[in-house]
Amino acid sequence: MSSVARSGLVPPTVPRAPKGSEARFQRLRFFFAILRARPSFAVGYGIVATVAIIALLAPWLAPYGPVTADPSVYLLPPGGNHLLGTDGTGMDIFSRVLFAPRIDLAIAIVGTFVSATIGGGLGALVGYYEGQQTWRRAVSTMVMRSADVLQAFPVFVFAIALVAVFGQSVKSIILAVAFVNTPIYLRLMRIQVRSIRQLRYVEAAYVAGASDLAILRRHVIPNSIAPLVAQLSVNIGWSVLLTAGLSFVGAGVVAPTPEWGSMVAMGFQNVVTGQWWPSVFPGIALCITVVGFGLVGESLEVLLDPERRHVLSGSLR
Amino acid sequence: MSRDGTGISSPDRRDVLKRGASLAGAVALPGGVISNAIAATSTTLVIAAPATPQSLDWNFDVSLGTFEAIAALYDNLLEFKKIPDPKQPGASREDIADHPDMPAGIAVQGKLAESFELDPAGKFIRFQLRQGIKSNWGNELTAEDVKWTWDRKFGLGAIGAFFLSTLGLENKEGVKVEGKYTVTINLDHPNPLLAKLQPNLYAPIIDSTKCKQESTTDDPWARKFLENNSAGFGPYRLNQLQRGQQAVFKAREDYYRGKPAMDTVIFREVPTSATRASLLQGGAVDIAQYLQPLEIIKLRSERGVAVDSVNASFMIWLELNAQIEPFGNPKVRKAMNFAFPQEQVLKTVFQGLASPLNGCMPNIYPGFTDKFWTYKYDPEMAKALLKEAGLSSGFKTSIAYNAGDPVQEPIAILYQTALRNIGVELELKKIPPATFYNAVSERKQPIIFYVDSPWCPDVGYSMTLYFNSKSFVNYSNYKNDDVDALIRDTARTNDQAKRLTMMTNAQQTVMSEAPWVFIAYPGYHMTRRANLKGFTYYTSNNIRFQDFSREA
Repeated sequence: MSSVARSGLVPPTVPRAPKGSEARFQRLRFFFAILRARPSFAVGYGIVATVAIIALLAPWLAPYGPVTADPSVYLLPPGGNHLLGTDGTGMDIFSRVLFAPRIDLAIAIVGTFVSATIGGGLGALVGYYEGQQTWRRAVSTMVMRSADVLQAFPVFVFAIALVAVFGQSVKSIILAVAFVNTPIYLRLMRIQVRSIRQLRYVEAAYVAGASDLAILRRHVIPNSIAPLVAQLSVNIGWSVLLTAGLSFVGAGVVAPTPEWGSMVAMGFQNVVTGQWWPSVFPGIALCITVVGFGLVGESLEVLLDPERRHVLSGSLR
Repeated sequence: MSRDGTGISSPDRRDVLKRGASLAGAVALPGGVISNAIAATSTTLVIAAPATPQSLDWNFDVSLGTFEAIAALYDNLLEFKKIPDPKQPGASREDIADHPDMPAGIAVQGKLAESFELDPAGKFIRFQLRQGIKSNWGNELTAEDVKWTWDRKFGLGAIGAFFLSTLGLENKEGVKVEGKYTVTINLDHPNPLLAKLQPNLYAPIIDSTKCKQESTTDDPWARKFLENNSAGFGPYRLNQLQRGQQAVFKAREDYYRGKPAMDTVIFREVPTSATRASLLQGGAVDIAQYLQPLEIIKLRSERGVAVDSVNASFMIWLELNAQIEPFGNPKVRKAMNFAFPQEQVLKTVFQGLASPLNGCMPNIYPGFTDKFWTYKYDPEMAKALLKEAGLSSGFKTSIAYNAGDPVQEPIAILYQTALRNIGVELELKKIPPATFYNAVSERKQPIIFYVDSPWCPDVGYSMTLYFNSKSFVNYSNYKNDDVDALIRDTARTNDQAKRLTMMTNAQQTVMSEAPWVFIAYPGYHMTRRANLKGFTYYTSNNIRFQDFSREA
């Protein structure tokens, strides 16, 4: 980073690397070099890509309908015509495991993006106006105290309460996921914006007559967003877990929707009587997916942090 | 609550603490590490139940744990005689058959009453009480207790009011004290249930002397006291009630029928059936209640565990709400029955432990007939009926089920798949156990599960409960004027042959109009340690601690 940029006179988003296809090629090479240096990152991307592909291709990959009960083949152990066995109503577990990410990922991704959008937006405004002697300061304080109140509740209990209020549906779960995640992005963005807004290039834009909204949109938010992006992946994994948890306790999707948590719940009574497969396979799929998103999140933290990226690129040479 | 207010005596306290601690540890640990040394040979009976009693006042509470508590703390005036169960060796059951040669036409005998006299016309019943019977508070049973118990039903309504209306008892003066130990119930109209209702679990006698001491101007019927305490003439007294955890009962030394064999009963709440099964398997408890079919099947082959399976009054069915379209149309209701895969449900969900519900009342009660059963799984017939009803392209509806009953969800899923074949789209709605019965009684769901049993083994009583258009448990909103008239006439005659004929006609009409989707008689399955003897089946589908003893 140049001395001019470090002084805060120039936004760090000003391109300094080579332009065009050469730059893209260099970034790609750097990305793969990092994956070679940190194989766990590669595993994470591999898992997430696989889960996404499975979700997209489930109708073609699954040998049976995900909600078709066939009592003539109930509780069959893994093998034969049913790779992962069948559950207590004769539904094919393999097919349901393949279909489940459609629901789990949809809820987690939409819920997380909604929370990031709302939380990030509010965080930017609060961080930008905090400390000013205007009515906006009062609003900022009110928003932050509201976030404190929201975060004072145990997340899972809060999510259950929200689903109970709004009714048991996919929309309600998305809403619950978005609601419990919003304060995280709010705080994250606020802290970033508070530090960025004091930099010289922001002050310069202000002196040049740019409006608050323009400054936020052009200079502050683009330079504050990196930690949010890193958080997204971790949160998607966590939201998959939350969705499954809600389903497990009966507050999630309605039966027999193929969803990992719901599948674990439906099958767990059978574990005691020796039929472990209705619960264990969806549990494993859930575990792998959450780990995958966690690893992707970790890699993004490194890639989007200039200092850590610099350290890593140094170690690659 | 202990009789003297000081709790339990030292040796008992040690026993209770030892077993309570073992059980608490066992509940907290996986099934595999449960010690099987606990059950052993003591006179302490440990029961793993889905719930502890919520209230001890039977006038208001019908929760699972309350049934057992009432049966232990209170006694009735009459009881059914016991006979060996024809299906399960070693088990007994109430003799609920018709016995025209006996005084009331049924096999009842005195319990708190030494003898009784029933008017042949069914207009009064006179009880001669046993003398010297003491309550858990030491007060002697007198006719005043019987009178006060019935007066309380008039005073508080609720479940008591149901008994009053069932008997047609219209005013307090109907219950008349004729002497210290003699009391009569007089009716304005003949009622065939006058004797038959007396053994009902919720028709026990209260110690009025104690209750009067505990009553206040605001609470003249001692509601607050009886919610947490007992004042009865039963074989046990309550030592401790920690709702959500456990209730402890202590056998009464002065019980008029002799002290029960099991001195202390720990009634422990273990919400998950899998955990209850593990505790029984490991020997940490003597009885595990309400297990799932697969767990029962597994326990049958476990060493040291025994399962008694008997025919029972339990029924499980789907209420088709006649006030929500398209279920107002009997053709649609019949189609819903033809589309129900009953055989597959019995085989998969109930693991063969249940029998098909092929009538509209318990098949163990006198007067039941299955000759009107026609609903064998036939999707083509279902489609034809829907076509006749103008619904050839199907329709969309929903089914509500109890999240706390693990058999209901798989049944709903199987039914959903089966209905898809006839063009009916079924949405599943899971309702938490705490609010499920509200959902049932609100009667706002198109289809909802219901599990129940009429506690009086009588055809008229059973049909009244579910198909009388004015009944508070007619949750399908079924209404047929002919059936109402038959039910009304059956309640007004003491001629049993005539009653049976009328109720056969009522069953024919109900079955042809299918207000329910008929699922199963789940039976009653007693899962216990093998050295525990004395299981007796009651039509109220609960156990009575005083029946049990431990084999050396």
